[in-house]
Order: sequence, then structure tokens, then C-alpha cells
Amino acid sequence: MSSTSQKHKDFVAEPMGEKPVGALAGIGDALGGRLEEKGFDKAYVVLGQFLVLKKDEELFRDWLKDTCRANVKQQGDCYGCLKEWCDAFL
Amino acid sequence: MSLFPEDPANLSISRLKLDLVAHNVALPPAKSKKEVYVELHLKHIKQKNAADFSSDEEDQVQYVADEEEAEMPDPSGLTDDDLMAALLKHGVKAGPIVDSTRALYEKKLRKLLQSDGHGCLNGVEQGVLYSDSEDEDEQEYEESGSEEEETHEQPDQAQGGSSQLSQEPVKDTFRDLLPNTNSTPTGIYVTRRRAIKGAAGRPVQYPDTPASPTTLERREVERRLVPVQIQILVFLIVVCLLYLIYVCVQDDSFTFVALLDSLNQGTDSEEGLSLQAETRDAPALSGLE
Repeated sequence: MSSTSQKHKDFVAEPMGEKPVGALAGIGDALGGRLEEKGFDKAYVVLGQFLVLKKDEELFRDWLKDTCRANVKQQGDCYGCLKEWCDAFL
Repeated sequence: MSLFPEDPANLSISRLKLDLVAHNVALPPAKSKKEVYVELHLKHIKQKNAADFSSDEEDQVQYVADEEEAEMPDPSGLTDDDLMAALLKHGVKAGPIVDSTRALYEKKLRKLLQSDGHGCLNGVEQGVLYSDSEDEDEQEYEESGSEEEETHEQPDQAQGGSSQLSQEPVKDTFRDLLPNTNSTPTGIYVTRRRAIKGAAGRPVQYPDTPASPTTLERREVERRLVPVQIQILVFLIVVCLLYLIYVCVQDDSFTFVALLDSLNQGTDSEEGLSLQAETRDAPALSGLE
């Protein structure tokens, strides 16, 4: 799993502030670009979607797949990253 | 309808008049030219026909949609509240249904409906589903909705588990009775064929011959693993006892030690004997192993 990736650690370590969407674990340049095109330019916008789906893993994964064609690993990374951030800061 | 493809210009004036009257179109003043009639015909009846036709189509489409809805309500046609209620019927507590989440919940409901459809074994449950689409039964269905969910799921579980359930007890009894044999449908138990040792020039092998010295060592270590701990415990106890005895013997200055000594003197010999026995036991044990 990605729970040990540096990006994940960096994101989970502090409040997200105004970090761009690309700071999320599992969201690289390509997915970040697609998300920005759809208006999800900041990490907190994705967090909003994550929260409005009630932190449901399945729904969030589906949404990420539909929105930016994220693969299963990217979905899992992003979900885990937001989940842990919420557990720490929400 | 059949008139529609015909050009009104080809119709007789009387026919045009009839058509116009039939369509509640005010007739032009009498003795008007045919063109006036044709124009009116084109203006009113053709439009009406077209409208009628399209509305007919819509009706058909709606009818088809209704049929589909009876079988599987289309999530995209539901309002937000209905969608949420439908999801709740399937045991899903939906979050807020807004623009950004609606598509996901629709997809989820579709998936749930599909899985339900596959879960049906026969038409009986579908009949229930049909009736639930009627408004009058909606309340009733909502009440029995959760129960029905369970009945939907139970057959699946029963199906999945039935083969295991039917097999497991049988296996257990067989294994209890004959632990070393595999159960066979005929009830005849077959043992593995063994090579004939010593025949056809094969060397005679004894079953207890070790495979290799390393495995022997490993086995020995494994066999000793638990006893070694006990041995250490016994050793520590012995050491403690010896130390106590040593201290008691050394320190004559304390009076209670002298008392202990007097007590110990009686037990010392016994302890010494038991110690000797223990020290004898340990090598004997290791020797046995």
C-alpha cells in the first residue's frame, strides 16, 4: 500500500491549507491536470467531495475513476491519504 | 394519418372542407379559391398531424419507459428525494445528493437493482417488485422493504453455504471415525500403494531410517524446545537454593540465620538428595532424548 509513500506522509503530516490537488497521494501530473480541468484545483475541493460522499470508499473510488480515470492504486492512495488526513485533522 | 402524406393540393375542395371541419378549423368564406383551402389545410391540419404524430411517439416512448420502470426504475428519472429513498430501501444510507454526487448514487442504485434482479430465483419475487411500483402498494412495500431485502439475500447465502453445510458434517463424522482415511462415495477405503521393499533388486529400507543428519538435529532441537525451558527453570531454582544455602552457611552472625540454619540442617540433607536426584534426572532425560 501507499501508506508509506513520501507524498502520503507529507500530506498527512500537516493541515492541507492551499495545497494544490497534485499534493494528494496518488494524484500525479496527469490526474491532477484532469481534476483541475473539472474544477478540482485544490486538495480541499477533493476533500469536499470526499466528505460529501460521507468518506465512503467505494463511492469515492468510483468518483475518482469517473472524474480523472484514476486506476485502482491511485484511487486507493488518494482515498487512504484523505482518510488519514481526516482522522488526524477533522 | 393516412391523409398526411398526400398533398392537400391534390384533394378536392369538398374533401378539404371536410378535413377542415373535422379539425375544427374555421372555414373560409364560401366560394373561396382552392388555394385558400389548401393553405388552411397546410397551416392547421398538417401542423396538427405533425403534433399528433410526435405526441403519439412520445406516448409510445413514455409507455416503453413506464414498462422499463416497472421492471427496473430508472435512477436518472428519479428526483433527489426519491433516489435517496430508493437507496434507503436497499439499505444504503446516502449522503447529500447534489450535482457532484448524483451520478454516483444513480450508478450505485443501478448496481443494486441489477444485483437484486440476479438474486431473484423465479417470477414470484418479481411479481412483488411489479406490484411495488404501483402507488397504492408503495407504503406497504416500504414497510416490508427491509424484510424483503433479507429474503433477497438469504437465498444467496443459503445457496453458497448449502454445499458446504451438506458436506461438512458428513466429513466430520467420517474423520472422527476414521481419521486417517479419505471418505469415498462407495464407503470402501483405499490406502496408498507402497513400494515393495527388497523385491526386484530394490534395497531393503526401514521406515525409521533418518533422511539426513541435519533433519535429525532439527528434530532433536524441536523436541527439546519446551523441555529446555523447564530445564532452565529447574536450574535456576537449584541455583537459588544453592545460593541461599551458601549465604546461610557463610553468615553465622545473624541470629535468624542461625535459626534458619537449624531449620535448614534438617532439610539440607533432603535438599541435597533432591538436588542430586534432579541433577541425575536432567542428564537422564537428555540421555533418553
